[in-house]
Amino acid sequence: MSVAPHIVRRAVRSLWENLYLNAVSTGVISAALLLMGMSLWVQHNINSAVASWSRDVHVSAYFQPDLAEADREAIRDRIARDPNVERVRYVTEEEARTWLTERVDGLGDVFDELGPGVLPASLEITLVDSDDLDAQVDALAPWLRDDEFAEVDYGREWIGRFETFLEVVKGLGATMGTLILVSALFLVTNTVYLVIYNRRDELEIQKLVGATTGYIVAPFIVEGFVHGLVGGLVAVVGLWGAHSVLSGQLESVLMLGLVPELTFLPLGWVAGLVFTGLVLGVGAATVAVSRFIASAP
Amino acid sequence: MIRLYRVSKSYRDVAALQDITFNVGKGEFCYITGPSGAGKTTMLKLLYGAERPSTGKLLINGTDIGKLPKHDLPRLRRNMGIVFQDFKLIPSRTVSENVGLALEVLGAPRERIQRQVRAVLNIVGLRGRGNTLPHRLSGGEQQRVAVARAIVNDPSVLLADEPTGNLDGAMAIEVMEILQAINLRGTTVMVATHDTGLMQRFPYRVLRFRAGRLESGGNG
Repeated sequence: MSVAPHIVRRAVRSLWENLYLNAVSTGVISAALLLMGMSLWVQHNINSAVASWSRDVHVSAYFQPDLAEADREAIRDRIARDPNVERVRYVTEEEARTWLTERVDGLGDVFDELGPGVLPASLEITLVDSDDLDAQVDALAPWLRDDEFAEVDYGREWIGRFETFLEVVKGLGATMGTLILVSALFLVTNTVYLVIYNRRDELEIQKLVGATTGYIVAPFIVEGFVHGLVGGLVAVVGLWGAHSVLSGQLESVLMLGLVPELTFLPLGWVAGLVFTGLVLGVGAATVAVSRFIASAP
Repeated sequence: MIRLYRVSKSYRDVAALQDITFNVGKGEFCYITGPSGAGKTTMLKLLYGAERPSTGKLLINGTDIGKLPKHDLPRLRRNMGIVFQDFKLIPSRTVSENVGLALEVLGAPRERIQRQVRAVLNIVGLRGRGNTLPHRLSGGEQQRVAVARAIVNDPSVLLADEPTGNLDGAMAIEVMEILQAINLRGTTVMVATHDTGLMQRFPYRVLRFRAGRLESGGNG
C-alpha cells in the first residue's frame, strides 16, 4: 500500500481549488527570480564585455598636429620594432572621420561644418598577448614622447577602474538578490499559510482518521515544488523575452563596438535560477506547514 | 479492550476528570452520560488521544495512551472510528471521498477504497449517494456518512460524541440503529450523550459522570 498516489492527487486538486492563491505564490517566485535573473544577465554581459576589452587592450597615441607625415611614419616604424608590440596601425584623420561617420548617423554633417583638424591622426598600438599588460604598457612609455604625441590613451587604466566599479555593483547585486529572495520567501510562506488555513478543518479531519504528519504535510510540499518549478520556468521565459528585446534595443551600442554581442545566461546559471525557484517554493511550503503544525491544537 | 485506572485530567489547576476507573470489554456498547461540564467530551478526547491523562493509566488494546509518542497517534486512530455531533465532513468532497479518506491515509489502492466505500454506504443506507456533496444531504444522512467514514476501515472501537445531538427524533433513532448494528458485528461502541430517551430506547451500560467524577457504571 502506498500513500504517494493519494498525496499527488490531493496536491493537484488543491492546486486547482486554490487557483488564485497558487497563482499568487507562483507569480511572486517568478517576479523574484526574474529580478534576480535580470541582475545576473547584466552582470554576465558586463563581465563578458570587460573580458573582451581586457583581451583587446591597445594604446591610442594621438600625434601633435604640426608633425610631418614622414616623421609620423618614422615614429610608427620605430615603435613597431619594440618586442612588446604586436602591431601598429597608423590612423589618418580621414580614416578616423570615416570610421565615426559610418557608425553615428548625422556626424558627417557636423565634421563638414567643423572642417579639418578636428580628429588628430593617431597610432593604434596593439600589444603582444601577455599576463602582465601593465608592465608592457610601462615599457612602451619612453617611446611616446610629449613633443611627438599630444595625448596617449593607455586603455588599461579605465578598465581597471571599471573592474573596481563592477565589484561594487556585484556586491550591491548580491545584497539586493538576498533581500528579494527573503521577501519572496516571506510572501510565499504567508500565501501558502493562507491555503493551509483555508483547509484547516480538512486537515483536522485527516488527523482524526489517522493521517500521519507526513501525509498531511506532503501535498503542500508537492505544491511548493510546483510553485517553484513553474515560477522558475516562467522567470526563464520572461528573461529570454527581455534578452531578445534588449538585444534589439541595444543594437546601436553593439554596432559601435563598445559592447560585444549580448549573450543569454549560460545553461548552468539558468538551471541555478530554476533550482532557486524550487528551493523557494519547497522552503516556503515547509516553513508554512511547520508554522501551522506548531500552532495546531 | 479499554481500561482506565485512576485517570485524572486537569487544565492548569482546573480538574476536568478526577480519579476515573472503569473497563470496557471487547464488543461492548456503553454510554458516557452526565450533565454539561461533567467531563464526557474530555473522556472521549482522552480515548482518541487528543488529550493525555494528567495522572493514572489509560490502556486501549494494551497500549498506554499516556505514554504513546505523538508520532504513534495515527496508528491508534487507524484502529478507531470517531463520530462527532457536527459530523466533521469536508464540504468540498463527495460522500464517497469523505468516507474513503480513512482508507486513503492508510495508502489503500483506489479500487479497494471504492469497493469498501460502496459496502459501508450500503450498511448505513446511503447506497447510490456516493457522488453527492454533504450539503445536499439531510442532517441524519450527513451523520450516517460520518458513521460510514468511522467504520470503513473496520475499527475495533467506535467513539461517538453526541452523535444524535443535531438530529430530530426519527433521524436520531436511525443513527442509533446503525451504531447498534455495528456493535453487533463485534465493534466496541462508546457513545457520549445526555439524551435519556435514547438510552432508554437502546438500553446498554451507562457510565454516568458528574463534575468530572464517575458517579456510576464503573466496574473497576
